Amino acid sequence: MSLGRIGFWVAIAALTVAFVGPLLWMLSTSLKTNPDATRQPPSWIPHPFTTSGYQPLTNLTSQTPVVRWFLNSILAATGNAALIVVTASLAAYALARLDFPGKKFFFGLIVGTLFIPAFLFLVPNYLIVSKLGWLDSLWALILPSAGGAFGVFFLRQVFLSLPRELEEAALLDGANQFQIFWRVVVPLARPALATLIVLSFLTNWNDFLWPVYVLFSPSRFTLPAGLSILQGAYTTNYPVIMAGAVVASVPVIVLFIAAQRHVVESVARSGLKG
Amino acid sequence: MSVESSAERAAAAGETLQGFQPPEGQGRSGVHGRVARHGALTPYLFLAPFLVLFCVFIVAPAIYGIWISLHDYDFLLPHKPWVGLSNYTELFTPGGRDATDFWRAMKATGIFTVFSVPLLLVVPLLVALLLNRSFPGRTFFRAVFFTPYVLGVAVVGLLWRYLLDPNIGLVNSYLDQLGVHRNIPWTTDLPWAWISLVGMTVWWTLGFNAIIYLAGLQDISPELYEAAEVDGAGKWQQFLHVTLPGLRPVLLFVLTVTILASANMFGQAFLVTKGAPGNATRTAIMLIAETGMRSFRMGVAAAMSYVLAIFLLLISLLNFRFFRMRDTS
Amino acid sequence: MPDLDRSLFLSRRHFLALTGGAGAAALLAACGGTSGPPTAQAPSGGNGGTKYTGPNVSVAFWNGFTGGDQAYIKKMVDDFNKATPNVKVTMNVYQWADFFQKVPAAVASGNGPDVGAMHVDDIPTNAARNIIVPIDDVAAALKLSESDFSPIVWQGGVYKGKRYGIPLDTHPLGMYYNKAVLQKAGLDPDKPPQTGDDYLAALEQLKGKGIQGHWMSPFPFTGTFQFESLLWQFGGDLFDKDVTKATFDSDAGVQAMTWLRNLVTKGYSPANVGQDADYIALKNGKNAFNWNGIWQINDLASIKTLQWGVAPIPKVGTQNAVWANSHQFVIMRQNQPDQNKQEAARYFINWISQRSLEWAKSGKIPARKSVLESAEFKALAPEAQFAKQIDYVHFPPQAPGIGDALAMVDQALNNAILGKADPAKALSAAAGQATKIVQDNQKKYGS
Repeated sequence: MSLGRIGFWVAIAALTVAFVGPLLWMLSTSLKTNPDATRQPPSWIPHPFTTSGYQPLTNLTSQTPVVRWFLNSILAATGNAALIVVTASLAAYALARLDFPGKKFFFGLIVGTLFIPAFLFLVPNYLIVSKLGWLDSLWALILPSAGGAFGVFFLRQVFLSLPRELEEAALLDGANQFQIFWRVVVPLARPALATLIVLSFLTNWNDFLWPVYVLFSPSRFTLPAGLSILQGAYTTNYPVIMAGAVVASVPVIVLFIAAQRHVVESVARSGLKG
Repeated sequence: MSVESSAERAAAAGETLQGFQPPEGQGRSGVHGRVARHGALTPYLFLAPFLVLFCVFIVAPAIYGIWISLHDYDFLLPHKPWVGLSNYTELFTPGGRDATDFWRAMKATGIFTVFSVPLLLVVPLLVALLLNRSFPGRTFFRAVFFTPYVLGVAVVGLLWRYLLDPNIGLVNSYLDQLGVHRNIPWTTDLPWAWISLVGMTVWWTLGFNAIIYLAGLQDISPELYEAAEVDGAGKWQQFLHVTLPGLRPVLLFVLTVTILASANMFGQAFLVTKGAPGNATRTAIMLIAETGMRSFRMGVAAAMSYVLAIFLLLISLLNFRFFRMRDTS
Repeated sequence: MPDLDRSLFLSRRHFLALTGGAGAAALLAACGGTSGPPTAQAPSGGNGGTKYTGPNVSVAFWNGFTGGDQAYIKKMVDDFNKATPNVKVTMNVYQWADFFQKVPAAVASGNGPDVGAMHVDDIPTNAARNIIVPIDDVAAALKLSESDFSPIVWQGGVYKGKRYGIPLDTHPLGMYYNKAVLQKAGLDPDKPPQTGDDYLAALEQLKGKGIQGHWMSPFPFTGTFQFESLLWQFGGDLFDKDVTKATFDSDAGVQAMTWLRNLVTKGYSPANVGQDADYIALKNGKNAFNWNGIWQINDLASIKTLQWGVAPIPKVGTQNAVWANSHQFVIMRQNQPDQNKQEAARYFINWISQRSLEWAKSGKIPARKSVLESAEFKALAPEAQFAKQIDYVHFPPQAPGIGDALAMVDQALNNAILGKADPAKALSAAAGQATKIVQDNQKKYGS
């Protein structure tokens, strides 16, 4: 092997260690006892091996139902992504293909808000959600972030770039606009829609600040908010905290491996379209 | 002549009328004077679902926020007295109660952004360059580097808090074995806390930027490289004159996304340093969230948000101008 | 990012839309606002919690009893549920910082718990914010009066003349020590130092054997508690009587902070102690003394190989004083009070309050005198050591919004212990800010 090739493989190996190592450590710690986890020098193999770190999490009447949190995260992210894709595609279609008074105005208004950073809406949205009675509910996780302009903006650009012939043909066949949208445009734009779904899902999944402040019952937490509470409740009991992290990670990693190609392609595409 | 029926005339006007169903309403004619293709209400129906969400959760809060910022607003107290612009002026009064905290927090956000953005631009590019070739296991490695991003900030934050614990963490333990006998206070003192926060953020989001770069790299036509090689350009020259220009749009996207993400950094500081030491790593977002939703001083928090937003807007405009100038040059 | 048609921003229609939105926002603001001034929500005709005979109800109980406390409170709640078939208490536990962020929001949105526990210094803030309601009726029904409790504990639950909390316990700071470590340094493991001079001499002796004997935490747990204890020992106080001015930067404060900072400069402590690292080091045999809360007792007891002891903290200043706080039961405001739940909640408080010995085993000093003086409590040897301090415990000051001001003390401590500022400067900067805060609070909550 040439020097360059060796160098390449060394780099790859080093990176892999840097990325996989911490995750293995996380797993290993979750299988230790508390004193074992804090002793010096630390060891990679648990002595003794125990699953007691998982007890507080898997107990059905648990204060820290990590599995429940995982489900809440899934529900919120899926609901949010679905809502975004549906409302944004409809709106983008109108802005890209239909004519109506106020079109320029609406588009300008929507795009204008793209420059407004999200934290500006934090406190007022908190109050609005509170008034709607949605604090501590799934609604608070799904709806507020679906008002963002990115999806509309992104899809409008995609729709504008689609060839019009198919739509015109459908119009000739007597389709109304919704049918054109649904039967012609949506299938053509499927990769872009998939991208938007994936990005929205990931963004909602990773959302931390909002769920931390908006949710309070342990059974309603999403994973990030719940893990934060776990950390507060168990402070230095690292086996439990790492066990929580493991339970939060394993399903995600499994899902990711299954959908890897789509996810990676979606992310890649978002950069090219932007 | 008048032999032509209206239908025939219409038919002559264009096949578009063949089998065309009459419009539902009195739609306005389009730009080119064609007959309306949809009802007057249709576009609004398409827009409506989004607009409802948009108005309630984007427009309303943007304005409500200004309203709140003009009051001493604590939503748990019955009285929310009007204070005019004093929440804003307080922020610019040296030694004021919130001014000290606010500008320290702005500084924290600034430091983090300044140190993280270059690393988040460069390191993922290097990784992407590494991955930009065919080799066994490529898909696997690509997935490995992307995994932290999928795990989310909470898992990443908790994991690194433990790894970087000054007394029982793995990092210091290994450093100790390597001969560094000082318990580096990764999470409790400066400048280490910043190094930890930036390092962990790179670890976490590297995959995301790398994937985008990878797509951009693969978009660059190999012919350009061949042409450059024919011209006698070495690897480095090729990088400078083919790769970088080819990546320009992707770079702009990554830069914008990264700057915004860094300015919004919350999770890492919240979970790992808790703003320590003494609030030095408490970012502006953390302060806004704490002030508004922990101390419930929402008027002040809203004012802080607007000031920070204006700052970011100025920086975005500068960024934009800078890239525009590069473009025209 | 795309090129924008800038003219869009200047259109008149754009402006009109904005002002239309402003109208909507104003409407929202007008419809907002919380309910009126706090009103007592004692159920009419209720018995203050002496018994519950109503239909099946569930009562939500939120608290911050994390760590070792959690098992104890859970057991008491389980016992209660078994003993009272028609009342089911469900419990949510949070870290205190999260608790105080979530409870007000929950109460304001109508999803709040029925019963809660909080500290004595949280009561004024939450009472002023209408999060908790007066429960004089419970005290009356339990026939509780000052003579049943230590006076300072009893006074703690009162705000503006109304009682909001029923005291459950007191939890002071104490001095834990690792007996094996002391022995290694040639110190008597059964006679820990109790005066400032003895203490410093012991630390010096430990240093001679290469042991850093008092790891000084720069964090609120428990650095701030240590500072406040010493502040009171040197005759100072956190705020003036009316809580309009911070006084912790007085000479007493500077003395206290300097004494603590000197632990680092004299080599008795590492320079950068992480959160809880001082406590972990005590368990690991790297630290000799750790001034920590009574709540750590059970965690230490669970380590069979650890030989440890506890004593009152040494008298470093001119008088005896030690930081303490007290857990109090409170009842949260409900938007639509349910009579049965209210009664059941009161009954629950009564039931737990009568079993404070059980709770004391979690590492607390019971609030009730009868329990405190009982033989069973005195038999709990480590807790009894803490109880020796009961006559000179100091609680944090009680005024609405005090938490924000006390956070300044945390900052001063952090800066001073980490050596970022000299103690006097750190304290005076923090005191300046704290004074502004308490004055703001006076305006906001009324005095």
